[in-house]
Amino acid sequence: MAAAITSPVPVAWYPTLAILMLAVGLIVTASFFIYEATSSRRNRSLAKELTTGALASFFLGFGTLFLLLASGVYV
Amino acid sequence: MGFRFDLLLLFTTLVLLSTIAPTVLSDVILSKVDRRIDLTSQIVRVTSTLKVENPGPDPVSEVLLTFPEIQAKDLAYLTATLNEGKGKVKKSGSNLLINVAKPEELPPSLIFHSVSLPKALGEGDSLTIDVLAVFTHALRPFPEEITQADIQLVLFQDTAHYLSPYAVKVQSLTVKLPKARIETYTKLENTNIHGSDIKYGPYENLPPFSYAPIAVHFETNQPFAVAQELVREIEISHWGNVQVTEHYNVVHQGAKSKGEFSRLDFQARPHLRGASALRNLVAKLPPRAHSIYYRDEIGNISTSNVWGDPKKTELVIEPRYPLFGGWRTTFTIGYGLPLQDFLFGLEGKRFLNFSFGSPINDLVTDNLIVKVVLPEGSNDISISTPFPVKARTRGIIALRTKISHLDVAGRPVVVLEKTNVVPEHNQYFQVYYRFNKLSMLREPFMLISGFFILFVSCIVYMHVDMSISKSSASYLAKLQWDEVRATIQQVVSIINQCLSKHERLEASLHDLSRTGDVQACKTARKTADSLFKEYSKELKPLLSFLQSSPQATQILPKVEELVAKEKELQERLIAKHSTIVDCYEKKIGGRELENRVASHQQKVVALKQEVDDLLDYIEEI
Repeated sequence: MAAAITSPVPVAWYPTLAILMLAVGLIVTASFFIYEATSSRRNRSLAKELTTGALASFFLGFGTLFLLLASGVYV
Repeated sequence: MGFRFDLLLLFTTLVLLSTIAPTVLSDVILSKVDRRIDLTSQIVRVTSTLKVENPGPDPVSEVLLTFPEIQAKDLAYLTATLNEGKGKVKKSGSNLLINVAKPEELPPSLIFHSVSLPKALGEGDSLTIDVLAVFTHALRPFPEEITQADIQLVLFQDTAHYLSPYAVKVQSLTVKLPKARIETYTKLENTNIHGSDIKYGPYENLPPFSYAPIAVHFETNQPFAVAQELVREIEISHWGNVQVTEHYNVVHQGAKSKGEFSRLDFQARPHLRGASALRNLVAKLPPRAHSIYYRDEIGNISTSNVWGDPKKTELVIEPRYPLFGGWRTTFTIGYGLPLQDFLFGLEGKRFLNFSFGSPINDLVTDNLIVKVVLPEGSNDISISTPFPVKARTRGIIALRTKISHLDVAGRPVVVLEKTNVVPEHNQYFQVYYRFNKLSMLREPFMLISGFFILFVSCIVYMHVDMSISKSSASYLAKLQWDEVRATIQQVVSIINQCLSKHERLEASLHDLSRTGDVQACKTARKTADSLFKEYSKELKPLLSFLQSSPQATQILPKVEELVAKEKELQERLIAKHSTIVDCYEKKIGGRELENRVASHQQKVVALKQEVDDLLDYIEEI
């Protein structure tokens, strides 16, 4: 018997997930830019920059995806 | 007149046939034929109940249905079901129909369809078959042009005797007309009118290929809505939505309108001036349809209504103007549907189960194109339809691609075409495909990598030294200032660590007041002492560097002040700590304790304030 296929994430969660992920992503982005602005050349650590950037882009990427889905653009 | 000549030719052919016809096909006898022609809408539906008897020795496995060629080209849908039992119990299986043309004995102006019986009919047996034939464009408006005030009259031609290659024992025909005026109808023997039905028959013992042309001229005020081209696009998104977009090009193919159109008359007396105009179209959408829109090239059309219940969603749309005969309009309808109602998985393959025709009631489509857009990354695509359709390239499913949101290569599109589509074609068809679940992650990864490239470019920009001259005074000054800032930051961080140690000391005092454990306090003080010594050692080289660099001349006094104040604070705190511990050891409590501690405490508070102010000032630089 055929089973109905649904989305991996429940559709009702899309707006909440979008806001949460975007909020976290923007906070991490903010911390990234603050670190860039306040640290001086000697004290900067490339590893810290890259990890903050990667984390921020992960959350921002998923946040934008859920934002698109919640607003009706079913990509 | 043109049509008369065609019929005359057919009539003479059939008369000749019935006399000459060999007995090859007449091993089947139709013992009872009841025909019912429904002319209440623009789509002509002929339901025939045939009781087939096999008198001869050979078993019969197929029954032939005959249509004259002029009628056969309007044939949109033909289905035959076996009628088991008495009346109510009907098996809804459909028998196979093959279009068979037999050129040897029979003239080409007849088209034959052969119905295969599930099991052969033995000698003496009989069974009942229900045949439904649906014809489009079979009602001719006559007169062909009418004014706004006229009623619409149409002409229908058929045969009163059932055209069949077999002899018919008893037959009757009922023509059901809409409840309006009947202008004329052919009167043969045994013709009666009951209300708005015309009954022809019963006729008995007619030979094969008997044909009695009749014509009925009657009034029908149904608007003849015909979609000349309908493009349905069904887009599947695995994130939970099936989006349907339908582009219509609708024409009123009833009697053409001549003369002027008076809006005043139309709105004042709609049933007298414009009785046959197309005012609205009713569409039956699947339940839980959302985001329904109705627009055309100009923009949104607001004259529409939707209401839904758990079984269906009903959409009533009114075009911008009423359609009279010959007038046309184009519009687009779109709606979204939940994915789980239409997409299913079976043994590793997924399939979409969707309805084929237009959801609008009573609409004839001349040319229907259905495009199913599957998500990117689908492969191994195949289709299954309950009736023959034309896939764009025969054999292999032709795929076009559509590039849509977040696509790299494009989405595969399956295109199906069919002409002459009626609402009976609104059955489910399936599109099968395979899809790897991990391909769904491609879309968020595209977005993530986009953002990551942004961050990496920021990092690169900050790290790369893009100044043109590396030995100019300003460049060197900037470098030195950077170094000074770095050193100051380190100083500040050490001072912050000192401050946190102060907090720890205070905490140990609180612990002392709670538990009275003097020993622990003393050890805390000792560790604090050693840490302070370490910090001052670390501070020394930093301070010396600051003293030596020319850039730091402005900030240097503040920093030195900060360090000095901090040292004072340390000393005061330690002094206060030791006083309190002493008091505890000597068991002096209350007033005395407070007196001794008071001065220390004041100084401590003042110093703390100054240190904080200096820190703020330095951090702002």
